[in-house]
Amino acid sequence: MSSVRPKLKPETPKSITAWETATGRTVWMTADGGWTADTAQIAAFTGDEAEERLAAAAKQEAIITDPYFMEVTETGGITGRETLRESIRANGPTVAYGDKA
Amino acid sequence: MYRYDEFDAQIVKERVAQFRGQVERRLSGELLEDEFKPLRLQNGVYLQLHAYMLRVAIPYGQLSARQMRMLARIAREYDRNYGHFTTRQNIQFNWVALKDIPDVLALLAEVEMHAIQTSGNCIRNTTSDHYAGAARDEIMDPRPWCEIIRQWSTFHPEFAFLPRKFKIAVTGAAHDRAAIRVHDIGLHMRERDGVRGFEVHVGGGQGRTPHIAALVNDFVPEDRLLDYLEAIMRVYNLHGRRDNKYKARIKILVNELGEEEFTRQVEAEFAAQRSHEKIDLPQAEIDRIHAYFAPPELATKPETSDVFEAAKASDKVFARWARTNLHPHVTPGYTSVTVSLKPIGGLAGDATDAQMEIIANLAETYGQDDIRVSHAQNIILAHVALDDLPALHAELDAAGLATPNESLITDLIVCPGLDYCNLANARSIPVGQAVQKVFADPDYQEDIGRLHINISGCINACGHHHVGHIGILGVDRKGEEFYQITFGGRADEKAAIGDIAGPGLKSEDVPGALKRVVDRYRELRSGKDELFIDTLGRLGHDPFKEALYAAD
Repeated sequence: MSSVRPKLKPETPKSITAWETATGRTVWMTADGGWTADTAQIAAFTGDEAEERLAAAAKQEAIITDPYFMEVTETGGITGRETLRESIRANGPTVAYGDKA
Repeated sequence: MYRYDEFDAQIVKERVAQFRGQVERRLSGELLEDEFKPLRLQNGVYLQLHAYMLRVAIPYGQLSARQMRMLARIAREYDRNYGHFTTRQNIQFNWVALKDIPDVLALLAEVEMHAIQTSGNCIRNTTSDHYAGAARDEIMDPRPWCEIIRQWSTFHPEFAFLPRKFKIAVTGAAHDRAAIRVHDIGLHMRERDGVRGFEVHVGGGQGRTPHIAALVNDFVPEDRLLDYLEAIMRVYNLHGRRDNKYKARIKILVNELGEEEFTRQVEAEFAAQRSHEKIDLPQAEIDRIHAYFAPPELATKPETSDVFEAAKASDKVFARWARTNLHPHVTPGYTSVTVSLKPIGGLAGDATDAQMEIIANLAETYGQDDIRVSHAQNIILAHVALDDLPALHAELDAAGLATPNESLITDLIVCPGLDYCNLANARSIPVGQAVQKVFADPDYQEDIGRLHINISGCINACGHHHVGHIGILGVDRKGEEFYQITFGGRADEKAAIGDIAGPGLKSEDVPGALKRVVDRYRELRSGKDELFIDTLGRLGHDPFKEALYAAD
């Protein structure tokens, strides 16, 4: 949960996550290199491909902001040390808020 | 309250237009995030965990019904139907889209509001006593000087890029309700030989290196205040660390130079100001600003109210609220009312758009159109007739705004924590809710008496944990949330930084552990009049540490 992003090993499956620039909502890279707000479409990358994908993402600043690696399972599920933080980024606060509070 | 003149209106309008252009360039890709970030921060726009957050300035925590209605409208039309009132007397919207923020700022400008000085390394919103201009124990109203400081500091070119953010607080009562000793500059208004002036405290702050401010000057006459502040700012601007963010606040400079040397440098800078550099306001200007803060014209009433007394006698719920949520007013027959934003199990400081509308209506009907935000994240109606309290209470209660807990153990200060904040290491809100639940019984709370529990989700201490009588700090240990407990902090004129009690606790263990501490206090206190913080001072921390870590 540290606000310092952990370094992940090359072989660790990882997604590329960012914020949609126009809205601020959390997005992840899909397998075809697009962006999704749907956690079911999170793609997992490893090794050089992951690095290349991150470099490509960094060039899309009009669409997304501050892309970084997020640890995932091979099928794109959120996992690892930052699970709580990334789950909150994906699903919103863990407490009911606004009219639902 | 202060009203914009043509210059204020113009600069805010121009700022909105400027930011609209900057946002357009960001969305087109012309501006990259690294270029845009300092620009958005100068307009109160943060990028949080899962959305942008817009922090709107509420100068010294005061706003009108019209302004509150606009905040409600923004919550409804651009956010998710709520806003969060903060420990700096501002409001934050958690879900505003960047593309919409220029429109939001334009709406704010319509009601003389903006998001300037709510972020970045500038002089931030000056905070104050939430009972200012109303409290019976007040010596002088701090708001005119907060406004003067606001006007002096807004867009001051010399202080636009300070080493780090800079926070000033002013109080005009003997009892400090504005936590001035944990601000970069804390001003305590004094009168000496018929001259009004300020006791000047510098270098207080919380965060990772908490300090209580040093008393740098025990009396600066009010007509020299801005010059003196400028002298302090110049010493800071010159010598404050810009190479290390964690050592950049003025508290570090005061500590490294020592109080004596820092004071000497400020006095030297102050003495060296040449006559043409002096920025002392003419008395006519001081008077003009003060006129905006003239007390409301309140109808003459007896000290006691038959309506109020009868309601207390017949309605136990009302009587309890009247015991806990009122503050003595300078005018007989009136009081200041705390509208609690701390319902049991709720989100500290949050209000829905509907609640904001209700508060606005009640402020107009019963409260002289004068609403305050306290640094403890509650709303205050500063001027209410005792006669009107039963009707006011009924309407607040129907809206879930009449929790009888002002300054009691469930009136926790809670930062947004990991549920919202990109800096947080642990969640604050669920822990606060769980603590509230074990102390929910209102009789129990009243028996415990005044006890401040403050929670922060990281060392940056937005939840003021260092100065809570009991502080809770969320930390991260290998991906798991733990909570460090501190004892003995306080934010008033006897300000102190709490001491860490020992190893951190798991979140589920915090409520029970605090209940053991509080029950130990109830056993050990010399009488019901001895507050927790005083028992702690008398007996030391050991009995309470023992209770904290005792097995169930």
